Amino acid sequence: MGAAKQIVRVNVGGEADVPALERAPTERAIGRKVLPIVEGVVLVAALVAPLLLQDYLTVFATRVVILALFALSFDLVWGYAGIMSFGQALFFGSAGYGVALLARDLDITNIFLVLPAGTIIGLTFALLLGGFLLLGRHPSSVIFVSLGTLTGSYAADRLARGWYYLGGQNGIPSIAPMTVGSYEFSEGPAFYYLVLGILVVVYLLCRFLVRSQFGLALAGLRENEQRIAFFGYKAQHLKAIIFAIGGAVAGLAGSLYAFHEGFVWPNMVGVVVSTQVVLYVLFGGSGTLIGAVIGAVIVEGVSFWLSDNYRDIWPIILGLLLLLVILFRPLGLISFVLGERERVGSFGARPKKTEKQTEKHSLKEKRNAAP
Amino acid sequence: MANAFVAAFEILSFGAIIVLIVLGLGIIASMMGIFNFAQGEFVLLGAYITYLAYAKGLPIWTGMVAAPFVVGALGFVLEALIIRRFYAAPIVAMLGTYALGLIIRESVRGLIGGFYLTVPEPIGGSIDIGAMHISAWRFTIIVITLLVMAGCYLLLSRTSFGLRVRATLENPALARASGISTPLIYGATFAFGAALAGLAGALIVPVFSLFADLGLRFLIQGFVAVMVGGVGSFIGPVAGAGVIGTLSAALPWVIAPVVADVLVFVLAIVFIKFRPQGLIAGKGV
Repeated sequence: MGAAKQIVRVNVGGEADVPALERAPTERAIGRKVLPIVEGVVLVAALVAPLLLQDYLTVFATRVVILALFALSFDLVWGYAGIMSFGQALFFGSAGYGVALLARDLDITNIFLVLPAGTIIGLTFALLLGGFLLLGRHPSSVIFVSLGTLTGSYAADRLARGWYYLGGQNGIPSIAPMTVGSYEFSEGPAFYYLVLGILVVVYLLCRFLVRSQFGLALAGLRENEQRIAFFGYKAQHLKAIIFAIGGAVAGLAGSLYAFHEGFVWPNMVGVVVSTQVVLYVLFGGSGTLIGAVIGAVIVEGVSFWLSDNYRDIWPIILGLLLLLVILFRPLGLISFVLGERERVGSFGARPKKTEKQTEKHSLKEKRNAAP
Repeated sequence: MANAFVAAFEILSFGAIIVLIVLGLGIIASMMGIFNFAQGEFVLLGAYITYLAYAKGLPIWTGMVAAPFVVGALGFVLEALIIRRFYAAPIVAMLGTYALGLIIRESVRGLIGGFYLTVPEPIGGSIDIGAMHISAWRFTIIVITLLVMAGCYLLLSRTSFGLRVRATLENPALARASGISTPLIYGATFAFGAALAGLAGALIVPVFSLFADLGLRFLIQGFVAVMVGGVGSFIGPVAGAGVIGTLSAALPWVIAPVVADVLVFVLAIVFIKFRPQGLIAGKGV
C-alpha cells in the first residue's frame, strides 16, 4: 500500500480527472444509489444468515464467505487491472499448505500468527511469480501472463501431488483448529462471524484502494495499457503491485480455508480451484467488488443446491451458463442492476468545490490542469 | 545399449503423441491468435468415439478413422456458432473455450461415469529387433505422426488451399481484399485443428485408456509447447512439441520424476520469458 501511494503521489498531476458524475448532481443522485444498496443488502443477508440457517448450512456458508474473499483477490487482479491470472489458486493453496505445515510441525495455531503468515506466504509467492511474469525489459503479453500463471498453478499441483513431505495425493489431513489463547475456532457461527468480519474489513480496504487514484490508474491499465504508459506511469510496476496485493488476499483466504476445512489437498493449488475463482468473478461481474462476492455466493449456492439432485449434470449446466454469460453478459450478473456509469465509479478524494462553480468552470480547470 | 534404445523409443513415442496434440493447437493459435482451451476436450472426444466403436463391436480402426471427421465437423459448427465471436479478444476466447471444454468434458464424464475404460490396441504385440521388444502400436503412432506432419506440411506449402491459409495468416485484410473468404478459412482451420486433436485422441486411447480428464493432462503441456515453439508458423509449434515432449519423457530417466515434471514447466516458462517469439519466429509454413 505504501509503495502504491508513493507512485500515485509521484505521477498524478492535479485533479485533472473530475469524473463526469461530479458535474451532474441530479443524475448522480439517481445513479449513485444502487451499489450501496446492493452492498448493504448483501451485508445484512450475511449478518443474519447464521440465525436462519441450520448448523450444517452455517458451515457451508462459512466456506462460501471464504471463497468470496478469494474471489475478491482475483477480481482485484483481473477486474481492475486486467491481468488474467489463471493461477490464483497457487497463492490460495500455498498459503493453505503453509499454515497446515505450521500447525502440523510447529504446533502454531494462534490466529494472530497463522493468518499473517498465510497472507505473507501468498504475498511472497505472488511477488515472485508476478515479478517474474510481469516485470522485465519487454512488457509481457496478456497471453503469456495468463498461460504463465496457469502453468505455475499446474506445476504446483504436480509438485504437491508428488512431494511426500506435503502428503502427496492425500494432502495434509486433520489440521488443528485455529486458536485465540485457549479458545478454539471450530466450525460454526463463531468461525462464520470471524470470517465475515475479515471479509468486510478486506472489502473496505479493497474498496478504498480501487477508488483511490491508484485504482484509477489500474482501471486505465485495464482499458488501455499503452495510454497509461504514455502518461508516465510505470505500468509494469502497477501490475506487479496489484498482483502482489491480490496474492496476499488469496493467501489470507487460503489460510482461513485450510483451518475451516481442516485439511489441504493438491487440488487447492491446482487448475481446478484456479478456474473456479474465475467462474465466480465472471458470473458475478468483474470490475465490481461486490460482483465477485455475489458470484461466489451464487455459484457455490446453486452448486450446493443442485448437487443433491442433479450431481451429474450440474457441471454441464455451469458450463452452459458460463458460456451464456461470456457471450451475452460480459459484465456479469451484477450488470442487471448496476449501470455502466456506476460500475466505473469515481476515483480519488472528492474535489472541494464552491457552490458557484459551473460545468464550464470545471471544464476550464480541467484544461488548465492538463499539460 | 538395449536399455538406451528402449528409452529412446519411449521418448520418441511420447514426443510423437505431444506433437500430434500440439499440431492442432498450434495451427489454431497461429491462425486466429486464440488459445483453444477446448482442445483437450477434442482429444477426449476422439478417444470417446474410438471407445464407442469398440463398445458397439465394430473394428477399432473404424472408430479411429471416424474420430477426426466427427470432431472436425463439431469444430466447424462450434467455430461458426460461438468461437467466431471471440477473435478480437484473446482472453475472452480462453474463457469461452474453457466453458465449451467444461461442457464437453462433463458430458463425456456423465456418459462414461468415473471409470477408466480400456480400449485394446488395434495392432497388438511387439516388434522384435534383436533382443529388444518395442510396442507395435506405439511404433504405429510414430509412423502416423510423421505422415500427418508431412501431410500438413504439403497441404500448407504446396496446395492452393494452403496458399490461402497462409495469406489469411499473414495479412487478413489483404487476403479479404484479394477475394479470399477469410471466415471460411478460419472455420476450415479450426475444424482442421479440431480434427487433428480428434485423431490424436483416437490414437492415444489404447495407450492411456479413456477417462474424463484425459485431455486436460495434455492441454497445458500443449500450450507450453506452442509458446516455446513460437506462434505464427506451422513448424514452430511442432518444434516446441518435440522439445517439450522429449524433455518430459527424458528428464524422469535422469532425475526424480516429481522434480522433472515441474522442472520442464519452469524451464519452458523461463525460456518463453526471455525469448517471447519462441524457437522459430516468423509467419508462414
